[in-house]
Amino acid sequence: MRILLVEDDPDLSRQLKLALGDAGYAVDHAADGEEGHFLGETEPYDAVILDLGLPKIDGVSVLEKWRRENVATPVLILTARDNWSQKVAGFDAGADDYLTKPFHTEELLARLRALVRRSAGHASPQLSCGGMRLDPRAARASVNGEPLRLTSLEYRLLHYMMLHQGRVISRTELVEHLYDQDFDRDSNTIEVFIGRVRKKIGPDRIETVRGLGYRIMALEGETDA
Amino acid sequence: MLVLAGFGLNHLFLGAAVERFEAGLEESIRGLQAETTVDEGQVYAPPMTDVRAYRPYSGFYWQIAGIDQGGGVSPLVKSRSLWDSQLTPPADAVRRAQARPGVSVYFETRDPLGKPLHAAAQLGSIPGRTAPVLFLAAENRESIDQALQRFAYIIAAALVILGVGLILAVWLQVRIGLQPLFRLRREVAQVRKGKAERLVGEYPAELSPLAGELNALVAYNQDVVERQRTHVGNLAHALKTPISVMLTEARQQPGDLADVVSRQAEAMRGHVEHHLRRARAAARAQTIGERTDVSEVLDELAVTMERIFQEKGVTIDWRAPDDLCFRGERQDLQELVGNVLENAGIWCRRMVRVNATPHESDWLLLTVEDDGPGLPADRRAEVLKRGARLDESAPGSGLGLAIVDELARAYGGDLILDDSAMGGLKAVVKLPRAES
Repeated sequence: MRILLVEDDPDLSRQLKLALGDAGYAVDHAADGEEGHFLGETEPYDAVILDLGLPKIDGVSVLEKWRRENVATPVLILTARDNWSQKVAGFDAGADDYLTKPFHTEELLARLRALVRRSAGHASPQLSCGGMRLDPRAARASVNGEPLRLTSLEYRLLHYMMLHQGRVISRTELVEHLYDQDFDRDSNTIEVFIGRVRKKIGPDRIETVRGLGYRIMALEGETDA
Repeated sequence: MLVLAGFGLNHLFLGAAVERFEAGLEESIRGLQAETTVDEGQVYAPPMTDVRAYRPYSGFYWQIAGIDQGGGVSPLVKSRSLWDSQLTPPADAVRRAQARPGVSVYFETRDPLGKPLHAAAQLGSIPGRTAPVLFLAAENRESIDQALQRFAYIIAAALVILGVGLILAVWLQVRIGLQPLFRLRREVAQVRKGKAERLVGEYPAELSPLAGELNALVAYNQDVVERQRTHVGNLAHALKTPISVMLTEARQQPGDLADVVSRQAEAMRGHVEHHLRRARAAARAQTIGERTDVSEVLDELAVTMERIFQEKGVTIDWRAPDDLCFRGERQDLQELVGNVLENAGIWCRRMVRVNATPHESDWLLLTVEDDGPGLPADRRAEVLKRGARLDESAPGSGLGLAIVDELARAYGGDLILDDSAMGGLKAVVKLPRAES
């Protein structure tokens, strides 16, 4: 297992390198954003531990660059910045987990293990429909290369519709796949979620078939990405 | 002022009326004086032009009287109108007339019918008689009183109308003149309520600098809050890494020194956390003109939270009307929602439900429920205590709900904990709503 550690504090870096080494990881260390970005782009790591406050390029920018360049390595953000707005920004940039300082080394190691295990899960084929792509392994979706921010319910809805693209899917069918049985919601639940997903992927990609349900489709003239 | 003017006018009118009245009496006396003759000790008065002098008790009387040693008056001749009574001037009027012969003195008396009379007396002499005689003329003064009363009524009515008119004019002038100020006040209120971010109205030249200053103040206020937050964040960031290093180092090299360092570093960590939160809560809620879309914040935090708890597999189902807006800063709502959701994420089994709804005229309710074990009623107050940690082994700072409570209070709202129908805890946060 090879890990990239991007952290500018020398003492913390030394401690982490020691702890990660003890846990059986091979660790590369970068002390600034520029070097970190370069290493993450060129070397195949199993996971990255990324500080946000870095010299030269800040952590969120490094992460955004990687994701734009299709570097899919799972990233754990390690930072003192514990505002929710900063956490949101971190996940929006493409982080997979987020740990705030001060932290216990044991917790970092546990999170890292989970991260690596998840990303190594059995590969399932990517789904695409027009400019939409959905990666079931990472549970992420994008439209024309722009990552979408979806809650798990919205993701489940989109996933199910893309699995059955071209077919009209009834509301009952959608509700059943959205919720566990004991959490049935009121009848306009599906409208709410269809509305939200439409807002995020574009209004015309989901067609309402009156009286029957919904159908997902590529936009006219669009070929599968 | 108007009342004083009324009294003044009345007094002037009274003066003029009495003067005219007395001029008439004076005229009568002069007529008597000019034509009265004495023949063999008998005094003869001339015929009067005024017919009232012949009609009994007509209200016009005259009399020529001699004065005895004691100042008593005995009529020599008198008008027919007096019939068998006579005019009796008071002793002091007689004395005044005697002191200044040829000058009329005036006094009040009553005629045989008891009507009020205004009378003049003048000491004079008649050719052919050595002893001076007193010429008297009197007339019913009711006519003056009536005129005076009529005048007073008219004056009072005119003054009341004038007064009402003036008040109305002043009120109108103030209303119209201050109109831009009222508009300014409304706009400032809108900024405070979060309906507008700045003043945009057109104001007259005298007021537009004030509007400009108010806008600058709003901007300055936002700027100060932002700077304060950045400072506090920087300080926290700067301290947290060293604390983390100290904690890890101390754990790796056990010993007395390590124990002390560990304990102190933990204390520092607590202080940093606590004061960081406090500063955030205090810096907020004073900002004005901010509004935040609730559904946007719920959406981004639901996604973030599901990622944080993805190992556990938490589903967050949120609902909010599209146009629901929180009156306050985005970061504050993120902090509130983030902490209350994190707490639900920690304790839930799989499912967290969030509902945001408008409440009363200018509040919103944020309800967060989970399907976890819940919290017994007697321990709820404990959770809200600052920094309380109910379960040391649970991940997260444990400050969550206390911070939510503190922030909600800073905005004039509150946090109420209850049982959820889903089995777990129900947290209801009341927050100010921006009108949409």
